[in-house]
Amino acid sequence: MPPAEPALAPAGDAQLIAAWQAGDERAAAELVRRHARAVARFLAGLGAPEADLDDLVQETFIRAFRAVASFRSQCQFRTWLLTIGGNALKDLGRRLARRRVVPLDERLESKDGDPHERTVAGETEDRLRHGLTRLPRMQREVFLLRAQQGLEYGEIAAALDTTPGAARVHYHHAVKRLKEWLQ
Amino acid sequence: MMHDADGVHDEALRQVARRLGAEAADRLDVERTAQAVVARLRAGDVPQRPPIRWMQPAWMRAAAVIVVMIGVGVVYRVLHPVAQPQVPQPDSVNVELAALRPSQLQDVIASLDQPVELTPTVHAGDAGVEDLSEPQLQSLLKAMED
Repeated sequence: MPPAEPALAPAGDAQLIAAWQAGDERAAAELVRRHARAVARFLAGLGAPEADLDDLVQETFIRAFRAVASFRSQCQFRTWLLTIGGNALKDLGRRLARRRVVPLDERLESKDGDPHERTVAGETEDRLRHGLTRLPRMQREVFLLRAQQGLEYGEIAAALDTTPGAARVHYHHAVKRLKEWLQ
Repeated sequence: MMHDADGVHDEALRQVARRLGAEAADRLDVERTAQAVVARLRAGDVPQRPPIRWMQPAWMRAAAVIVVMIGVGVVYRVLHPVAQPQVPQPDSVNVELAALRPSQLQDVIASLDQPVELTPTVHAGDAGVEDLSEPQLQSLLKAMED
């Protein structure tokens, strides 16, 4: 059994990034622990197949750590990671035929709650997931960054290299179309 | 809570969006992912790039094969030059060319332009009776009779 790594003192993302740039691998691992689930959730929302989710998350962090010198704190580190993840997913989509996971079996295997309610909720998720795949990429990412990740328009605009006003318009277009499809 | 005209309000949509991918993310083994990322960074892993995919038309492949074959041929000819057949020089020309005067050199060049008579000369030592022509055979018989 390998010896346990000494724990890192609680630090902000900026401190961890600086530590990683100075060669501290524990800082890189801590950043992964801190943001991996958010990245995975975002990627799954964008339609990433669950079978590829771990690889995509890894790829996202590898790309981020390699390009971390270009991160100028124009947005939060997590937001920057999400945009990198979106690009990694787009590249995967070019390589593979898109495969969507329909987690019906997993819903039925859930531990708590009424099975009927879980199934109905799952169907809504499936319809939303399907609706998202029909949106233009910008609308899809803006919607998820806003509705799923809870980001402000300014933050979204900085991450996607657009304006807050344009991000707001993308979001409202996305919501309008998704509502139509969810009826 | 604000409801819009069609009965589906933004908050409901956001709640569904927040659940989207949550189960898949919960199943992610974060610690294993962190260790894998660190291992890849340590190994100097280069981020995957999408391979450039483009269809090669058949004629482009054929052209590429032809170009390669011509190139190989050129290289082979450079490395293995074809030996030029040696033109037999007459005995009279067997002199040092450098020592010749221009006029003599012109004579030599002119002599090289003359057609070389390639009529085989038959020597008695390296030819049998069956190799002789009829007139030669008759001459030989006549000489033997004498």
